Amino acid sequence: MPAQLEIQGLSRRFGEIHALDDLTFTVPAGKVVGFLGPNGAGKTTTMRAIFGLVDLDGGGVRWDGQPVDQAARRRFGYMPEERGLYPGMLVGDQVEYLGRLHGMAPSDAMHAAATWLEQLGIASRSRSKLEALSHGNQQRVQLACALVHGPEMLILDEPLAGLDPPGIDAIGAVLKDQARSGTCVLFSSHQLDQVESLCEEVVIIDHGRLVTAGGVDELATSGSNRLVVRVEEDRDGAWARGLPGATVSEIAGGEVRLELGEGADPQQVLRAAMRAGTVTEFVLERRRLSEVFREAVT
Amino acid sequence: MSFLIVGLVLVLLALRLWRYRRRRRRTDGAPKPLWLGPYAGDVAMISAREIRERLRGRVLRVGTVIILGVIAAAIVIPVLDKSSGSTAERVGVVGQATALQKGLIKASANEVGVSYRLFPEPSVTAARARLQAGNLDLVIVEASSLVVPTTISPTDGSSSAQLVEAIAKNLGIAKALADLGITSSQASSVLSAKPLRVVALQHGPAPKSPVHSVSVFGLIIVFVMLSQYNTWILIGVMEEKSSRVVEVLLAAVRPMQLLAGKVLGIGLVAFAQATLILAFALALGKAVGSSFLQGSAPAALAATFLWLVLGYAFYCWVYAAAGSTVERQDQVQSLVFPLSLPIIFGYIMALTAVTSGSASELFKVLAYLPPTAPFAMPVLVGFGEVTWWEFAGSALISIGCTVLVAKLATSIYRRAILRTGRRVHLRELLASPSR
Repeated sequence: MPAQLEIQGLSRRFGEIHALDDLTFTVPAGKVVGFLGPNGAGKTTTMRAIFGLVDLDGGGVRWDGQPVDQAARRRFGYMPEERGLYPGMLVGDQVEYLGRLHGMAPSDAMHAAATWLEQLGIASRSRSKLEALSHGNQQRVQLACALVHGPEMLILDEPLAGLDPPGIDAIGAVLKDQARSGTCVLFSSHQLDQVESLCEEVVIIDHGRLVTAGGVDELATSGSNRLVVRVEEDRDGAWARGLPGATVSEIAGGEVRLELGEGADPQQVLRAAMRAGTVTEFVLERRRLSEVFREAVT
Repeated sequence: MSFLIVGLVLVLLALRLWRYRRRRRRTDGAPKPLWLGPYAGDVAMISAREIRERLRGRVLRVGTVIILGVIAAAIVIPVLDKSSGSTAERVGVVGQATALQKGLIKASANEVGVSYRLFPEPSVTAARARLQAGNLDLVIVEASSLVVPTTISPTDGSSSAQLVEAIAKNLGIAKALADLGITSSQASSVLSAKPLRVVALQHGPAPKSPVHSVSVFGLIIVFVMLSQYNTWILIGVMEEKSSRVVEVLLAAVRPMQLLAGKVLGIGLVAFAQATLILAFALALGKAVGSSFLQGSAPAALAATFLWLVLGYAFYCWVYAAAGSTVERQDQVQSLVFPLSLPIIFGYIMALTAVTSGSASELFKVLAYLPPTAPFAMPVLVGFGEVTWWEFAGSALISIGCTVLVAKLATSIYRRAILRTGRRVHLRELLASPSR
């Protein structure tokens, strides 16, 4: 059975605020898992708790069936929300130093640092001070620091924030590669379209509690079916009113969005549309992750 | 002087070598292995990084060169001044000087602490001409009057003025004795009479000796270095917090390891600098024949160095904990003064004791309190007023308190270092059981 991260009943209060409220979920190795939630939902506190940076009021974290201790944490890679490395230190030295702190031998750390800087396209900046790099390249260095020791688990807090599309693609490709090689990858983001394209599973939390979790496909196809229909002769969607089992949710630009209830027949809808005029669009629409997210947290 | 030149050449060569190595590194694109030294473990790795980054910084190198320059000036200038002031006084003598008179001139010179040479002059006119030309410093005419180039002010404390005054007084007494009909041999006996024994009711302050200058030197070194190195700690911790790198580090190592590595690394750089400065001062003092190293001065210097180590060990934790509560330079400024108050207090009390030449009861108590002991105890050693077991007792108290302070500081650091956005106050940390 592949290793998995188990978050078990985490609780943490800051005064009157429940940052984590009996939060429980699991993250399997070998998959990219998105960790979603509105601001203040408890994502960062959860990630810090995995690394022992927050004292918990209750619950615990297990990896591969064992409680996470300092030795296990050294085998994890972490990219915190608030980026931080030594601004005046040379990039190559910095990545190598983090590798050494995670238990690598000097020669291995040096070799791995060079490899990752090469892979992330910043090998030429190895002898530059970090502060001399652009924001995007600093982000790549930060990712190299999280990856240099070949971690069993990657915890990344908002790794895509502030990146341009090529930067997002580069980091996204690395995360997918890592997952394919068996690493457990958990990352948070507010860029839901990116999460949808990168992740196989998501965990959504709010107010420190688990709201929903599961495969992206499974969540996108769950709930009521939705049809998008365009009838050129009836752009206001009058044909759709009163259809049994179907509710109009949106009319925009000639497109009519219909929520199909239990037992509603799409073929019946199609026939009604054809009776009204020429049907130029008829699509059974998949729910976007952003919609799943909004539904989950409202 | 040759020592100075050799030292300067060595410093220049070291700078050239450093610049050459830096250029080599810049031109080579491949990452070089990070030298972590022979130590094992996370603390050693963190220390090694601190040492490397400090040595790479310009502040340390420039600061060391400036301190060495100041110390060289403090040691060499008094020696040069003393040697330039030791030129023999040229005393012209008109008329035949008797053995008694020559003896009195010699006694006068010894009294003042100067050397002299006698020049027989054929006449008063010739002697005045030579005095006018600057070839003589004073002229004794027939053992009855003295001629000097310019009027001597009553406030003139120069050795020449003191010699004139001493010769005038002693020859005056000899003349008075001769006028009373006392023979030369009798007068000689009177003037070379052994002084009476003086009995004091109680011991006064010890006479000033070279150990006092060593104590002052040591105090300045301890004050400057404790202030400087602890400020490094404060700013270093603050920078790790403000740059947010600390969260990445604490995901891999424990807070105690991170803190210990930082204070150890900075401490090693600090003591390497202190050792260099001390060795430079000792070697230069010996080379130029300074009176700096006489008497109990070496013991006082050794005590100063030991207490510099103990003082750093005590204060570094305090400053590290304080650094974890702030994340901006202006917040650091508001912390530095209150934190340095015990150091300033200890320094002023010790300086007062050294200049007065005695230690009060309060001062002796301060020698056993860890915040002030680094200043007070070396001074007591310099005075010779402390036994070995009192010294060891004070050191043990300091070590014990350092352990307690380290535990408290680690606890504060752990709770404060990830709290960002504003300065964290001590009462908030003590009120909250955890982070």
